[in-house]
Amino acid sequence: MGRQVCIASAGFSEHASKRSDVNMPELVSEAIEDCLKKVPSVSVNDIDAFVNGNMPAFEGSNIPELWMTDWMGARNKPLMRITTGGTTGGSVAIGGYYTVTAELPGIDTVLAIAFEQQSQGDTSTGLASVAYGEISVLNTLGISYEQLTQLLSAGAAIGVASYQATNYMRRSKITEEDLARVVVQNRHNAANTWWAHLKMPDLTIADVLETPYISYPLRYGMVCPASDGACAMLFTTEEKAKDLCDIPVYVNGVGSVANESGVLGYNGSGAGQLDTSEQLGAMKSAELAFGQAGISFPRKEIDYAEVYSPFPNQELMWIERLGLFEENTASEMYETGVTALNGELPINCSGGVNSTNAIGASAMERPAVAALQIMGKASNQVPKTVHTAIGHGWGGIINLITMMVMSNKPTRKIK
Amino acid sequence: MSVKIKERESEVFKIINTTNHNINHYKNYNQKKFKIMTEKIVVANKGLVRAEFAFWVGRYMDKFFDAFENKKILGNKCPKCGDVFVPPRKICGKCNIMIPFDQNWVDLPDTGTLKNYTITYYKINDRASRKVKKPQIIGMVQIDGSNTAIIYRLLDIEPEEVKIEMKVKVVWEDKTKGDPSDIKGFVKI
Ligand SMILES: [Zn+2]
Repeated sequence: MGRQVCIASAGFSEHASKRSDVNMPELVSEAIEDCLKKVPSVSVNDIDAFVNGNMPAFEGSNIPELWMTDWMGARNKPLMRITTGGTTGGSVAIGGYYTVTAELPGIDTVLAIAFEQQSQGDTSTGLASVAYGEISVLNTLGISYEQLTQLLSAGAAIGVASYQATNYMRRSKITEEDLARVVVQNRHNAANTWWAHLKMPDLTIADVLETPYISYPLRYGMVCPASDGACAMLFTTEEKAKDLCDIPVYVNGVGSVANESGVLGYNGSGAGQLDTSEQLGAMKSAELAFGQAGISFPRKEIDYAEVYSPFPNQELMWIERLGLFEENTASEMYETGVTALNGELPINCSGGVNSTNAIGASAMERPAVAALQIMGKASNQVPKTVHTAIGHGWGGIINLITMMVMSNKPTRKIK
Repeated sequence: MSVKIKERESEVFKIINTTNHNINHYKNYNQKKFKIMTEKIVVANKGLVRAEFAFWVGRYMDKFFDAFENKKILGNKCPKCGDVFVPPRKICGKCNIMIPFDQNWVDLPDTGTLKNYTITYYKINDRASRKVKKPQIIGMVQIDGSNTAIIYRLLDIEPEEVKIEMKVKVVWEDKTKGDPSDIKGFVKI
């Protein structure tokens, strides 16, 4: 199947809660500039095709990829948009990979771009479709609309994550302090990442635990911010990547699994499962991506991981479900420093989604950071050499997981 | 049985939930059977969902609108092909290059040429009385010295008098605010 594909570069715009100094096309062009700056021999004219994506309706701007065409350098070139909720960025990155591996005539180099400028819009309106899912499932449980409006006060993403957090905490016997520890590590890492949003170099566990609850067990100080930002990744053929950069990053496996019963059933058919921290979709996407990449022991073979975790409980859950740690041991890894910048298996050294969440871009920023860690060009670079890394994406309420396994050598098993 | 959440009054947030428990509907499916399914309201959310959006214009457009306050039109010039953009923009898509923010600004006159136009008989923003008493003429105007067009109303002119390539001039509001409404429209000169 297809030719080898390499990531030659990745770039970011600066992220903040309000980038009102730029319009959406200008925000996107910042990420592209940062991406192409790292590969001086490539100009935007050398790009053969474009993949673009953000959340639908969050900014109230329809078909944004068409009116930002010039700002991407995509005038008169093949362009498609992919939007798959929270995993949009991961799907766009996988779209970039597919476009190159497909060996289409004249298409060798592809720019993938994902972005969100949430300050322009009303994210809660954008998430109305998520509220719909909750309304319909609670209806089937016999909860009236009057009761339901109260329940929805913690609606949308945190409404989903809080159930998942309590499920996970019960399973793994962790405390709120353990959740806060994950947040502290992330915010410290964000402080050393130039493009990150919530930089808190002095944050302590006690600080986090002093903030009020939004929805138990998640406190204000534990949840991700809403950010404006963009990310770009450059995918090309093995031959071209070798000319463009010192360490081409091979995409050795991808996985994209939808697991609709992960949280709620379709159209109010009831909760598909009792434990939302079970995450069969994550396990399946990891199995697919690791299978393609020829990885049998992720815990031993993966040197670095970026996982999509707006909430700290998810970070612990994902790294277990994706096979990086044994079940119910993730929290211990944060306590003992295994997941720290200088640890054995560093996790989310960019500060992760917990510190920066421009939703449409977030699932692309995971493989983008992971690729830069392999190249040795990441903003908060880990001291050890990274050979193989993963970038993971999550989208709810219909559970969708994206995975990309990358390495400095080709190990892709499928032919 | 079909369960349906119906739209009522000013509802904008409606939920339609259709489930079909009768296996015969699957066996002998046709449009007639579908129509006799009964409907039941499960949930109806009365009232409006507010959706507020802002659009950041960015630095280039900000400078453009700021100039409106002094009744001036600003463009910017591509350093490669020389095209002058009104409104100004960061990237020339033809050349794929960035026009630096601190350079290449061009002061332009408030006169231009009508490149194209349409005559509209309905308003899109007023549902109560959509038909207008007097048709409005909307023109694409190329500001002198620029390579792009902006779209505004043509004022004080009858449809039969409008000619493509005629010369026009901006009519400014008396009190300008630094936003697009500072230009009332264009008149023939
Ligand atoms: Zn030009």
